[in-house]
Amino acid sequence: MASREDLYEEAVRTHGPALDRLSRAYEANPEARRDLLQEIHLALWRSLESFDARCSLRTWIYRVAHNVASSHVDADRRSKARQPVSIDGLDLADEGFDTASVADRRMAIERLMELIRELKPLDRQLMLLFLEGVDAGGIAEVTGLSPGNVATKIHRIKNILIRRFHIGGEHGR
Amino acid sequence: MADESEDLKNLWQSQPSDPYGIRRGDFRQKMRKFERRIFWRNVREYAAGAVVIAAFTRYEWKFHGLLVRLGSGLIIAGTLYVMYQLHRRASLRPAPADMGLSPCIEFHRKTLERQRDALQTIWSWYLLPFVPGLTVFVVGSILDRWAAHPENLEHLILNSLGPSAIMAAVFLVAWRLNRRAAARLQAQIDELNDLGDNGDSRP
Repeated sequence: MASREDLYEEAVRTHGPALDRLSRAYEANPEARRDLLQEIHLALWRSLESFDARCSLRTWIYRVAHNVASSHVDADRRSKARQPVSIDGLDLADEGFDTASVADRRMAIERLMELIRELKPLDRQLMLLFLEGVDAGGIAEVTGLSPGNVATKIHRIKNILIRRFHIGGEHGR
Repeated sequence: MADESEDLKNLWQSQPSDPYGIRRGDFRQKMRKFERRIFWRNVREYAAGAVVIAAFTRYEWKFHGLLVRLGSGLIIAGTLYVMYQLHRRASLRPAPADMGLSPCIEFHRKTLERQRDALQTIWSWYLLPFVPGLTVFVVGSILDRWAAHPENLEHLILNSLGPSAIMAAVFLVAWRLNRRAAARLQAQIDELNDLGDNGDSRP
């Protein structure tokens, strides 16, 4: 069994950029975002002492990262009394982006971040895991949602993303 | 539809990212720094309690009536108890080490249950501890003023009824608002139970 330090280094090598994107999707303020990213890394390092390979390292990393980030958002939301929304409550309005254009791609990412920050914790986790390319089984393992619910929600997410962001340029319309 | 969503996944994953990692030798130092930051964040949360304690400590010296001083002491004790309860129930803490064992839904449910329990029992740990001190303080104030003006007892009692009623109303409203917030959290917990494995992911 690898040491905690080795596991942490593997986690950073394989999922470092994903953790960075995750912290940006959870926290808009750059200073608070750096704090959140550091908190995730420290929590991950601490947690790896109890990692016993009962689940994959990927599942472990995402569970820790999302749980830390959710607690961060929860404390922030309580202080600002902001209510998150459900994926099912989002409309399919056209955002007017065409992801074939570079400028629009950058704006699309920003708008996507804002959209994710509005979501309820589990929907947010699901959306991020979907965007990171985690398959339905992996999402169910990380979140604890039933596979049926994951499938339904992924279908809804795809509809929202395709309608809002004109994925793939013209053919997405 | 699957191919189309791949484009957005690629767009998402191709964002430039800042490489971040903690070097082997730096963990303990960073953890200490992080725990210090949490400690000071918590201290700021207790600032209101410190103000109440400072004010009633001053009353201990300023007033000579036994009951007013006893009431001030009880309010200080009540505030300390509430601060302890806030620390126990709601203070920020480093993430638990076994966090990776719980799926997100389980972690989220436990968080909501903890918040719900705190709100549901707010009467006993947040409001009630102030009642004995405030009651003794008000009665003591009336008796002190009565000692100075023996003919005005009825007038003094009537004068204190208004502020006492307002205080009671504030307590009642706080209790009811928190009960309502607890019910909203319970609805979210029920929703999570429906989303878990086989409708309920509880072990």
